[in-house]
Amino acid sequence: MTGVALSRWTMSYFVAALISLIVAECLMVAGFGYPAAPIEAPETLVLVHIVTIGWLSLLMCGALFQFVPVLIARPLYNNTLPLPTLGCLLAGLFALLLSFLQIAGIVPSHPACFVAAAALLAAGFGLTLFNLGRTLWAARPLPLPARFVVVALLSLGATVVLGIIFTLVLGGIATVPHLLNVTALGLPIHVIAGLGGWLTFSAIGVSYRLLAMFMLAPELEGPTTRAAFYCGTGALGVAILGGFAAVCASGNVIMIVSAGGILGLAGIACYGRDVLHLYRARKRRVIELNSRMAGVALGNLVATLVVSIGLLIAGVFGKHVGVVVFLIAFGWLTNLGLAKLYKIVAFLTWLECYGPVLGKTPTPRVQDLVVENRANKWFVLFTVAVWCAAASLMLGAPLPFRLSAGVMLLATVGIIKQLLRTRRLANVQPTLRLPKGVRPPHLLYCWVQPT
Amino acid sequence: MTDEEATEFSGRIREALRMVIDPELGYNIVDLGLVYDVAVEDGGVVRIAMTTTTRGCPATDYLKSGSRDAAWSVPAVEFVDVALTYDPPWTPDMMTPDAKQHLGIG
Repeated sequence: MTGVALSRWTMSYFVAALISLIVAECLMVAGFGYPAAPIEAPETLVLVHIVTIGWLSLLMCGALFQFVPVLIARPLYNNTLPLPTLGCLLAGLFALLLSFLQIAGIVPSHPACFVAAAALLAAGFGLTLFNLGRTLWAARPLPLPARFVVVALLSLGATVVLGIIFTLVLGGIATVPHLLNVTALGLPIHVIAGLGGWLTFSAIGVSYRLLAMFMLAPELEGPTTRAAFYCGTGALGVAILGGFAAVCASGNVIMIVSAGGILGLAGIACYGRDVLHLYRARKRRVIELNSRMAGVALGNLVATLVVSIGLLIAGVFGKHVGVVVFLIAFGWLTNLGLAKLYKIVAFLTWLECYGPVLGKTPTPRVQDLVVENRANKWFVLFTVAVWCAAASLMLGAPLPFRLSAGVMLLATVGIIKQLLRTRRLANVQPTLRLPKGVRPPHLLYCWVQPT
Repeated sequence: MTDEEATEFSGRIREALRMVIDPELGYNIVDLGLVYDVAVEDGGVVRIAMTTTTRGCPATDYLKSGSRDAAWSVPAVEFVDVALTYDPPWTPDMMTPDAKQHLGIG
C-alpha cells in the first residue's frame, strides 16, 4: 500500500482500553478509592491510573497510531512497534497498580515492582513517542492539527518523567532530596501535563480534523485555530516548565499553574469557537451520533470550566478538585472517546472487511455497520450518570456516587455491546455482509489484506 | 477510435465506477464528483484521474484499487491507470444534485 494504511494493532489498544474502563467503573461501584478513600490514598491512585493509563492513554495511543498518518497524509513510521509498545504499557500499568497496592498494604511489599513499573511504562511511552515522533518529523512542515499532537506528545514526555520520579521515590528507590521535593510538590504539574497536555491537546488536534472530515465542514487553520494552539501551548509551557522551575526554586507552584490556567482558558475559548463554527458551517445537515456526542463532550468541558471558576471564586477549589478531575476524565475525555470510538470501530472494520473488495462487488456503507438508535440511549445515559456522579461528589454523598457509577457501568456495557455488534458485522444486511473474498474481522486486531 | 466511440466507452467505464462507493459518505464516487477524468485511448487503454474527500484518507488505496478493478471489468479494457490528484481539492459542490439530495447536503 502506498498511502495511509490500516493500523493493525489499534483495535487491540481499544479492547485493552475498554476493559480498563469497565474495571475502573466496577471499582467505583464497589467504593474503592475516592471518595470512600482520601484523594491522595494509594487506593485512589490505583483507580486514577486505571482510568488515565489503562483507559484514556491506551485509547489515545491506539487512535493516534491510526490518525496521525491521516493528519499528515503519510504512513506510520513503524506498523509493528505498536504491539510491543502495548505489551510494555500493560505490563507497566500492572506493575504500577501492584506498587500502589503495596503502599496500601493490600499486597506484600516488593521494591522490584516500583522499578519494573517505572521501566516498563518508560519503555512503552518511549516507544510511542519514538514511533509517532518519527512519523511527524518526516512530514514537516506540519499542518496545525498535527502540531497540537506534537505538543501533546511533549506533554506526555513530561508526564512520564514526573511519573517515573514519583514511582521511584514512593518505592524508596530514589532518595535524592531534590527528587523528594519534586514528588512532594510536583503532583499538579503531573496532572496538568497528563490530562491537559497529553490527553486534551491530542483530542483537540485530532478532533479539528475528524469533525471537519465527518461533517464535511471546512478545515480550519485560521486566526482562532492558531490562537487556540498558541494559547494552549503557552498555558502548558507556563504550567509544566514554570511549575517545574518553581519546584526547583521552592517557589509557589500553585500560583504558576494558575497563571497557565488563564492562558488555557483563552485557548479553550478559541477551540470552542472553532468547533461551533465547524458545526454551523458543515455541509452535512444531518450529523451522525459520534458528532452529536462529541458536541456534548465539548459542552461538558465548558461546563467543567464554569464549575471550576465557580469553585475558585467561592474559594473551595482545593476541597473539590476531585470533582473537577472526575469531570475532565469522564465528562470531557471519556464522553469524547466513546463517541469517537463508536465511529472509528465502524470505519476500521469497514476498511478491513470491505476495502479489499471495493469495485469488485457491492459493499455496504460505514454507516450500515451501526444502528444509531440502539446506541443513542446508552450515550445519553452515560452523560446523565456522569453529571449525577459529579453532583454526588460535590455534595459528599458516597452512596449516590456509587449508584451513578453503576449507571455509568451499565451505559458503558451497552455501548461496548454495540461496538461488538459492529465488529461482528451483525448490523449489516445478510446479503451484503460477507461477499466472496471478505473474511469476518477478528475482535482483537485488524487483518490487513493486500489491495 | 472515433469521438463518439470514445465517449460511449468512457460512459461505460463511468457506469462501472459507480460500483465503487466512498465508504464514509456511502455514495458512488462518480456522483460524488471524486472522478475528475476518464480518458480512453486506442488499444483499450483507460486513464482515470480521481481524488478523495480528504487528503490522507485511510481508504485512499482501496478507492484507487477499487476503481482500477471496476474499470477493468468493462469489456475491451486492456490497461487501466488510476492517478490520484488533489488539484483541485474536492469540495461538496462537486457532487451531482442527486448525491447532494441523497446526503441531505445544503
